[in-house]
Amino acid sequence: MSALRDYPPPPDVIRGRVAWIFGDDFDIDLVIGVENIKSYDADFLRGKVMRQYDPTFADRVRPGDVIVGGRNFGYGHPHYPPMVALRDLGIAAVLAESFSPGFWRGETYNGMPLLTVPGISTGVAKGDNVAVDWRAATVRLDDGTELRGTPPSDRVRRVIEAGGSLKLLLAEHARQPADRS
Amino acid sequence: MPSTIAEKILARAAGVDVVKAGDNLPVRPDYMIAYDFPGYTDVMFKQMHDDFGIRTLAEPHRYVVFIDHMLTKGTEQERQVHQVTRDWCEFYGIELHEARGIGHQVMAELGYALPGNFLIHFDGHISGAGAFGALGWGVRRDLLEAWVSGQIYLDVPATTRFELVGELADGVDSRDLVHHIIGEYGADGCAHQVMEFAGPGARGMSIDRRQGLCGMAMFTGAVSAVFEPDEAALAYASRVARTEFTPQLPDEGADYAAVHTIDLSELRPRVVLPGSARSDNTRGVDELAGTPVTKAFIGSCASGRIEDIRAAALILDGRKVAPGVELNVVPTSDSVHQQAEDEGLLDVLRAAGAQIARSSCDFCFGYQKPLQPGENCISTGVLNISGRMGSTEANIYMGSAYTVAASAVAGTISSAEGVARS
Repeated sequence: MSALRDYPPPPDVIRGRVAWIFGDDFDIDLVIGVENIKSYDADFLRGKVMRQYDPTFADRVRPGDVIVGGRNFGYGHPHYPPMVALRDLGIAAVLAESFSPGFWRGETYNGMPLLTVPGISTGVAKGDNVAVDWRAATVRLDDGTELRGTPPSDRVRRVIEAGGSLKLLLAEHARQPADRS
Repeated sequence: MPSTIAEKILARAAGVDVVKAGDNLPVRPDYMIAYDFPGYTDVMFKQMHDDFGIRTLAEPHRYVVFIDHMLTKGTEQERQVHQVTRDWCEFYGIELHEARGIGHQVMAELGYALPGNFLIHFDGHISGAGAFGALGWGVRRDLLEAWVSGQIYLDVPATTRFELVGELADGVDSRDLVHHIIGEYGADGCAHQVMEFAGPGARGMSIDRRQGLCGMAMFTGAVSAVFEPDEAALAYASRVARTEFTPQLPDEGADYAAVHTIDLSELRPRVVLPGSARSDNTRGVDELAGTPVTKAFIGSCASGRIEDIRAAALILDGRKVAPGVELNVVPTSDSVHQQAEDEGLLDVLRAAGAQIARSSCDFCFGYQKPLQPGENCISTGVLNISGRMGSTEANIYMGSAYTVAASAVAGTISSAEGVARS
């Protein structure tokens, strides 16, 4: 927890490519391998992330790219380092048919846009360019196709705009924000 | 407007007349609970103090901390972790419960999990409080939001109702029910919802089994689970209550996402394959019969209660743990341990060759006697992902205390069905 990175809030429209499409009930720990789920070391994680799926992944991903999931994305006992590894590469959002509650809560706290978009797992292909208006939960493809998901609640929108729950809470509740000695 | 139990509990905790599924609003938990664990409580306390500038708590009685992990090595690191927690709890005037057992059980014994109460924790197994008609919700790092503000923004969940009829057969328990539910309705069958248990089968189920069932709610995708509080729950609560409480029952005509009826008498023992509890990993015990095991474990916040230890003793009485198998039994709390001793159950287990350990969370997360590469463990623990109980090259199968005890005797995965009658 102390090793958390500081990520800026996303732009209004996230523009990038679909970096990968995962199946249903995907266990996020598999992104780096269960033997590595306690590391927050950036270089170490870069060497592990998605190696089992695509050894070129880390070199291929550009900031703004997104990953796509099926139903119940994040099922299992999610740890934080896999998403740290993906965000360090520039992954800017996760779009899925649905999310596992524990994963959804943990990563929303960290300010990651997680958008529930029915039809996303079959409506896009790896490598597609997407423009994601995360507040409206719309995903627009190059050919003009638009998929519509469930917009985040007002509270979650504010969490993401703040760059994570901790920053929002500090803005709302800190009594002596300068006192960090 | 007719409401479910969860809606009524959340409305009361939010200080409003009515909430309905889909609302998002701030809710004030009765208790905001944590166990000390590096990276969680130490960081949260420091954030509260250094970053938020909070020096005193308006309502320290709403904060509860347990020390139940990292108790069994006796190392300097353990001592330091716990001392940090003691220091912060003393600074803020927070009640700390140290080494009395697994917090998710001790919170019930100490009267926090009362009918109608709303509890949060960073750990999702707080849902076990549903056995008493309380709503326990694991909110991960959002616990900090409640700690610094006294409230937490939540989406009011929809509810799926489970009408339980019939009685569990000998050698079958609520652990088999939860895996049956996952098998039938999927690992997201109750996603983002609350499971509400009612009916004669629910009323006939012991409190212990209700706790084990509710504590596993997350593996159906649910955020929590709750029983309609009945005489048994109210009797327990009245005995331990530290405050007054207001039991909540669902209203006639409440809106449910789904209603399922399950005949408990039709359930058979289930075992979950290594990896996760998802439905395609769920099997009948008979399908896995013969799979060799080297370790067997009865304990965790989802088992190890007196009913589970009685189940194990019933199977192990007059029998021996198979050569090459180590059976470890960890009562869920010190008071459960004492009761099991008083009932003579632990003598039965020891005579059979089982090893009894003092209550803690340490077996379940691979801290105490970690599994070695190539080992097969049959476990009542809450999780069987790779590496959970030690080596990532060990396999963890999950089942009920009956199944674990029977497998320990056989040396292979085995059903206890019929053994109880013999």
